[in-house]
Amino acid sequence: MRVIVPIKQIRDPRGVKADPRRQQVTLEEAELVINPTDRNALEEALVLKDKLGAKVTVISIGGPEVEDSIREAWACGADEGILLSDELLAKADFRGAALALAKAIQKLGDFDLIIAGAMAADTCQGQLGPRLAAALDIPCVNDVYRILEVSGGKARVIRGWDEKFLEVEVELPAVLCIAPGANVPRLPHGARIMNSYQWEMPVWKASDLGLSEEDLRPGVEERGLSFPPERVRGRVSRGSPEDLARELVSFLRERHLI
Amino acid sequence: MDFSFSKEHQMLRRMAREFAEREVLPIAKAIDEEHRVPMDVVKKAAELGLLGVPFPQKYGGMGAGEIGYCIVAEELGKVSSSFATIIGAHIGIGAMAIYLGGNEEQKKKYLTPLARGEKIAAFALTEAGAGSDAAAIKTRAVRDGNYFILNGTKQFITNGDIADIITVMAVTDPSLGPRGGITAFIVEREYPGVRIGKLEDKMGIRGSSTAEIILEDVRVPKENILGPFGAGFIVFMQSLDMGRLTLGAACLGGAQTALRMAMEWAAMREQFGEPIAHKQSIQWMIAELATEIEALRSLVYRTAWLVDTRQPFTRYAAMCKMYGSEVASKAVNIALQIYGAMGYSRDFVVELMYRDAKIAEIYEGTNEIQRIVIAENLFRDFGVRIRP
Repeated sequence: MRVIVPIKQIRDPRGVKADPRRQQVTLEEAELVINPTDRNALEEALVLKDKLGAKVTVISIGGPEVEDSIREAWACGADEGILLSDELLAKADFRGAALALAKAIQKLGDFDLIIAGAMAADTCQGQLGPRLAAALDIPCVNDVYRILEVSGGKARVIRGWDEKFLEVEVELPAVLCIAPGANVPRLPHGARIMNSYQWEMPVWKASDLGLSEEDLRPGVEERGLSFPPERVRGRVSRGSPEDLARELVSFLRERHLI
Repeated sequence: MDFSFSKEHQMLRRMAREFAEREVLPIAKAIDEEHRVPMDVVKKAAELGLLGVPFPQKYGGMGAGEIGYCIVAEELGKVSSSFATIIGAHIGIGAMAIYLGGNEEQKKKYLTPLARGEKIAAFALTEAGAGSDAAAIKTRAVRDGNYFILNGTKQFITNGDIADIITVMAVTDPSLGPRGGITAFIVEREYPGVRIGKLEDKMGIRGSSTAEIILEDVRVPKENILGPFGAGFIVFMQSLDMGRLTLGAACLGGAQTALRMAMEWAAMREQFGEPIAHKQSIQWMIAELATEIEALRSLVYRTAWLVDTRQPFTRYAAMCKMYGSEVASKAVNIALQIYGAMGYSRDFVVELMYRDAKIAEIYEGTNEIQRIVIAENLFRDFGVRIRP
């Protein structure tokens, strides 16, 4: 049984500094960490390793610094890791990144599950899981809180549904997108940390995946970042319910909201 | 010159920090109030290898060296002096004595389960009449065939009541004095005649235990002599050197937390219509403290580097302990002063940190003894011998 966990390296949101007055966000001082929800995904994969002896492969895309996060995932218990990295891949947008990851997963051969974090804490897009499923033409279950059982070519999982939970059965191979906070991810063992740089990590380029510059051309253009407008302080009114209702209605009318 | 940590050590710091914040911080106040050693959390630390940080992997350790151990001590020191003390006494002096003085068999038999955290270590040197004057110990070990019979009472032993394996210093030949007359022994808690006496009701570090260990006709096999016979003084001096360095690292952690809390409070607390951080009196306290913390950081990690590169470090370890504990005490004092009356209230953690900090100036060799060690080391270069 093989489980693939795509992870993303992000700047630790706790270390990001925002200065709305200067319209400036300082990212560089924040530590590079594994996206928190991807750690939840890795945890689910490692539970399957503990229970069913699954082989866990971690895969990521980005610059050479992403190697550190893959090695951290290895220290947590993953069996192997692959980095997709070169100048072409560095320019890829969500579509390009998902395409490259899908190609890499195909290159790896047979697999049973792709367990991904439902969303990255930096971009909050939640595109990767569904895009991977589409590219590989396999089912995808989003917002997964728990994997109940994996057997007989199927997985039974609990997913969020509206404000309820839904039990779902899905045929394998499939993509499961793990919800933020679905579990408490394990910490790496110290001895594995100390050994985590002692194995050779395969680094695949766009050409290794059969991808050209054209394939990876971004479809989204980033034109700049800006802060949301400052919020106007709310108004507190007091009085009888009738007076308050009257005041509220006139307030909304003045602003043409009703 | 390169001040950066290795990738492995950076990863270790992330792990230790997350462990400290996730497992230790939430119980830090409760273990003080309940005077309770959090054995469940110690077990969790063991599962991550945190009870064997500096020891080689072949003995079940993490293989992270002294730099790695200082990183862990610093991160634990940030959240709980009690917890840092439990781990410090276990690794830094208890198991360290076996690592430094033990033969291959002793390391396999005793160090391995200690490094894995399956067993807990304590270091038993101090007695009622032998604190700073460690050579004045009265515990006797008398040979009886293939055994030594140990009798005596050890006092203020950190981890005393939770330890499975205790390194005990005992007099084997009173006529020879400290050099030649004291031998180190590995004593198992289960040996008949080992008894736990009084548990200290302490001012601080109440989440760690400090106990009296009574030895009554304890038969210890001669295979459990640690280091050469009669060389106990060297074994414990070497172990204490290591312990002093990492105590300095734990103090570095505690001092940083105090500084951060003091700054957060100064930025938030408004008096005379502005945050008290706008007052020069506060700014000077913070600026001086932050400078001393940075100096301590350099001292601690340079000393750890000396250890890992096998260079002499005794004077620097004493400096780490002395300066570290004094910076930590200064830090909690400043934090409490800036918090004002709120800091004096038990509703806030500052008073706990204040009570916890003082012991670092006392245990593992008082700061007065550290000054003697430093001076002795310095004057040796000038041909002057100093004895306490």
